Order: sequence, then C-alpha cells, then structure tokens
Amino acid sequence: MKISFPHMSPVIVYKRLLEMFGHEVVVPPTPTQKTFDLGVKHSPEFACFPLKVILGSYIEAIEMGAQMIMTSGGHGPCRAGYYGELHSRILKNLGYDVEIVIIDAIFPKFNDFIKKARKITNGASIFKVAKVFKVVYNLSKAIDRIEKRIEKMRAYEVNEGDCDKVWDKILKKFDKVNTIAEVEAIEKEAYGMLDNVPVVKVEEDSKIRVGVIGEIYVVMESSVNMEIEKTLGKLGVETERSQYLSDWIEHNIIPKFMRDKKIDNIIDEGKEFIEIEIGGHAVENVGYIKHFKERGFDGIIHLMPFGCLPELVNQSIVPTIIEKFDLPVLTIPIDEQTGKANNQTRIEAFVDLIKGKKELRLNNGKSKIS
Amino acid sequence: MKEAYIGIDIGSVSTNIIIIDQDFNVVFDYYARSNGQPLNSVKIGLRELRKRIPGDIKVRGVGTTGSGRQLIGTMIGADVVKNEITAHAAATLHYVPDVKTIFEIGGQDSKIIILKDQVVVDFSMNTVCAAGTGSFLDHQSERLDVPIEDFGDLALTAERNVRIAGRCTVFAESDMIAKQQFGFSKAEIINGLCEALVRNYINNLGRGKALQPPFVFQGGVAANKGIRAAFEKEVGHKIIIPQYFNVMGAIGVAILAKEYVEETGEPSNFKGFDVTDVDFVPSSFECNDCSNVCEVIKVEMNGKMVAALGDKCGKWTNSCGSNAKRKRVASAK
Repeated sequence: MKISFPHMSPVIVYKRLLEMFGHEVVVPPTPTQKTFDLGVKHSPEFACFPLKVILGSYIEAIEMGAQMIMTSGGHGPCRAGYYGELHSRILKNLGYDVEIVIIDAIFPKFNDFIKKARKITNGASIFKVAKVFKVVYNLSKAIDRIEKRIEKMRAYEVNEGDCDKVWDKILKKFDKVNTIAEVEAIEKEAYGMLDNVPVVKVEEDSKIRVGVIGEIYVVMESSVNMEIEKTLGKLGVETERSQYLSDWIEHNIIPKFMRDKKIDNIIDEGKEFIEIEIGGHAVENVGYIKHFKERGFDGIIHLMPFGCLPELVNQSIVPTIIEKFDLPVLTIPIDEQTGKANNQTRIEAFVDLIKGKKELRLNNGKSKIS
Repeated sequence: MKEAYIGIDIGSVSTNIIIIDQDFNVVFDYYARSNGQPLNSVKIGLRELRKRIPGDIKVRGVGTTGSGRQLIGTMIGADVVKNEITAHAAATLHYVPDVKTIFEIGGQDSKIIILKDQVVVDFSMNTVCAAGTGSFLDHQSERLDVPIEDFGDLALTAERNVRIAGRCTVFAESDMIAKQQFGFSKAEIINGLCEALVRNYINNLGRGKALQPPFVFQGGVAANKGIRAAFEKEVGHKIIIPQYFNVMGAIGVAILAKEYVEETGEPSNFKGFDVTDVDFVPSSFECNDCSNVCEVIKVEMNGKMVAALGDKCGKWTNSCGSNAKRKRVASAK
C-alpha cells in the first residue's frame, strides 16, 4: 500500500521512518500556489491556513498514488485535533478512496494507539521497531543540528544561496541512511561541506539574531511562510526557530523520565504569561520569547496562521512582552492572501529597527539618524 | 561643484523626487500622481529635474523607497533601496529630532511609527483596509463632487458633529448616504468622514501602543486640514506637520543615501539622467517552470532584460546580474 504524510519539513525523516518499515512512500510535493489553491477550494473558509495547505497537499499525494495517509492527532482547545477527521471526510466527499491514520497520544486510548501504530510498523518485531525509531530519532537530531548551523551561516555567506545549495545536497545524502553510523558519517561530511562555503567575517557584537516563533506548521514549513528564514538570512540576520522536529519527538514521544527537559523548562517559563493550557504551542512560544531574550537575541518574529486561536492569544500578550523584556516582536499573520511585498517591507523595517536599537546600545546612547 | 543626493519615493498613488544638497537643504521637489504608471512618472520627474537643476551639480548618491523601490532602484542604479518605514523615520528625525510618534497616511497604506531616543522601536502598517488611507478620501471626494484639495477646508466649516461608521469603506459609504438623507450638509458629512478615518486609523494601527508627543503627521493626506484637526482632537495634543510633509519618504531615502556613500566612500551607481531617454519596457509573464506559477515582472531595455521581480525561486531575478554579492561585502563593514 502506498503511504503518504503531511508535508512539513524535514520530510526526509518521515520518509525514512516509513521506508524502513517496508512501506512504499509517496512524498508529497513541496507546497506551491497550486497546493494552496486546491486546499482553499475544498476547505471551510474559516479553517486555519495549515488545514487548507495540508488538504491540498493530500490531494496532490493521492493523485500521485497514495492510498494511506499518516498524520498526527492532537488534544486541547486547538482545532488541529479534529483536522485529521475533517480531512478524511472532505476527501471522502470529493470521492477519493484513501485511509487516514491519525496517531493520537498513547494514553488514554492505548488499544487504539497500538492498532494504528501496527499499521505504520507493518508487522515489524518490537526489536526492529526500536531500532528504526533510534535511527530516525538520530536522523532528526542530526538534521536539526546542521540546519541550526545553516540558519546562522546564511547571514554571512558571500554568494547568496550557497548555503541552501549545500543544504539540498546534504538532505539528498541522508535520503538513503539505514543505520546510526551512516547518519553520523553524513553529518560529519556535511560540516566539512559547510566549512567550504565562503563567508564574511562579522564581529560578534554586530551580529543580529532573531528568533522565529509561532504555530508549528507555519514555522517549520518554509514554503508556506514566505521562506522567512531565507529572507532574514539575505538581510544578514541569524535565525533560530522555536520548533524543530527533534524537539517535538523528544517532548512528545520520549517518556518524561528519560527525556531532555529543555522544552519542559521552556513551557514552565511561558506559564508566567499564560497560566492555563490553551492548545497548540502557545505557552511554549511565550516561553521561547523569554528563552531567546536570555540568550541575547535581538528580536522575535511571530508567525500566526490567520484564525489560529492559540497564537491569537499570544499576539495579545506581545505588547506586554515588548515592554517587559525590551525586545521587539513582529507578528505576521499568514494565509493564502498573504502578500509578499507588504511583508517584505515590514521585515526590512523590523531589521532596521533592530539594527538601530543595537547601534544605540553599542554607542552608549548616541544614535545616528538611520 | 555642488554635491547632491537624489531621493525617489515610488508610491501607489504618487511619485516623489527630491534633491538635497550637502547641508540637507531641499533644492528640488517634485510630487506627481503616478496614474498607475510609476515608471513613466519617474522618467517625467527626472526630466523635469534635469531641466531645473544648475549644471554644476554632481549627483553623489541616489536612494529609492516605496512599493516600486526595487524596480526603479535597479533601473536607475540606486545606491540605497530602503523600505518606506525606515525612510520616513529618517526624514522626520532630521526635522523633528525629538519626535516620538509619526502618523503617516499615504494613498494605499498607512503607518504608525513609534520612536524612542531617536530610534524606531515599534511600528505598524496597514495595507489590507482602505478605510484608513487616502484612496478612501479620494473616492468620497469624487462621489460628493468636492475636489480633494477643498476637502479639508470644507470640513472645518462644519457646524454640527455627525458620526459616520468608518470601520470599512463599504459601511462608511452607506452610512454617509443615510446621513445625507437625514439632511446633514456636505461640510458636516466630510468632517464626519475625517473623524471616522482618524478613529479607524488609531484603532487599527495604534492598538496596544502608547502614543506620546511630539506627534508628527506626514504623507499626502497631511495636506487635508480636516484630518489634521481630527487627529488633534483624537490625541488631544498639537500635531506637527513638516514643511515637506508629502515628500518625506523621498527626503528620508536621500538622507540615507547620503549617509551610505559618506560611510563607504564608494562612487554612486547612478546611471545618469540619460536613463530617462532609454526606453524601458515593463511587462509581466507567468513562469511555468514549477507549480508556483509566479507572476514575474520584467523590464527590458533595447530588447535585453535588465530587471526582474516577483519570482519565488530567484531564477529570473538572479539572471540579470544582481549585485547581491557586492552588497553583502559592503554591509559587513
């Protein structure tokens, strides 16, 4: 049976996971205008943007032959929890014969989880499952480590686009990995490749760092967020996101007593501003603002799908945060109507604002006009 | 020989060109409606400029801003291509150094810029709603058959207050018609409109921001006395209107160009006034190389593509010799 999944970078991790269990995988194409159009056409108007893009992405995958789609469920007030169900109904009404497997949390419906997990593991033994999971876990960590380095390097590359060319090559190399040793070898090679990219030397003091936070899908999938990290990189800005796949795996799949507590701590920090669980990654995102501030970041870009409840709450907290941390935050709503030109202006002005503030700090209060 | 700096602001509604000399004096200013053809109006403006400036002026730097900044910037060889927000703030800071809040209302967008210690600390920009911009007034002036130039003066003659729903242009218009039928005069309706526009502007853009004086109001709409009065009423404080309120973006980018060339010491990229004689042909096409189907705008000069915009992947933009590399090295200094 051909199996597919939502396109949320880095897709190679899901692809390897399914392939290692012996599935034939259909990788959905990177979302483009066509994907948006398809999704918007068949979705309820007031659904949030990720639902629409993912629906479009499913249709494209089905047309490429996918018969089963693996996706994650959710809980809490964020609407993402019922999206799998909604997608499956819309697709059925459109006459597509496809099975959507929604993986929810292990508890409370343990039996349901096992039944669905078996579909994914394809009858593999418990040992094989453990092995595959370890490889995929290491792969996601390696990819995220490399990407974090690229997010820093982009700001200083001499020839625009060099880093991204290397990044594409690196991802292709990871496409065939089967063991942890292979992952490690490729990661080492990747650093070697990046070392050869010519970069401009910039003083530590004048480096500009911006944290990108927001709803997980629009933060991680660059094709829907106007390639925000590349845009910032071109303007000479280092970036880091609040969401990485390896962090998600660490926090959601590894049992609490074994995992790295980084995300747990960040969520605790966020509770200062949002006391209750309001769904999505709202609390985590606010925690990240504090986290980035403590690490000396110069600003935050907050991405919010139009109509996203948790991030809408966050947006209303932003003025308090700007004041408390003296940290500039730019909120960008994203949907199919998003015009790149307007946001380009906002982003450029935001970077100028950060530079101005920084210069002021470096010159002890004396500023130039710009 | 006198050194000068050119600033060009290519907005949605108007094209502004100014020249400043070494001491920031504005020696030439040109404000014209683009009528949907910014390329043409820049050409006409530059021709005008060539006619009027003395021969001993040497152009040391050129800056462009506004929504057409990239395209025009590439065409004429600008040294600085800056967003409108930074450009406006730079100009205002020159005239009112202790400014804290800038209101800017243009044809298609409006902005609020908050400054602290001469640095921009916050801003917001409205581009989706016409109810807070000049186009809205333009449209209403046509409907009421009152020339836009007389709008402000007429508003000040209003005797009674009338509240018009300003949330959305469509609602504003139907509310206006209703109020007209109730027998309010044109002046009162126009005054109501000005107040509605300001209310909408402050609610939309000023939300969650502490607006502190000194206030500066600029952009084409600042010519309108009715709006000016409505602003003073809304914020309860005097509003400063700079002398060159309608070309502030152009002045700002000229100042930035001056700073840039002084800092780098490099010669200007300006292609000279002869660019006005060259025939640039803008056109657009849909690139079908992937399913993004980007609408690419290209500019051809003598049959050769000299500029391209709008492609997501950068294939077309990069194909016409971008100078991104040079910029990266320069900005790292």
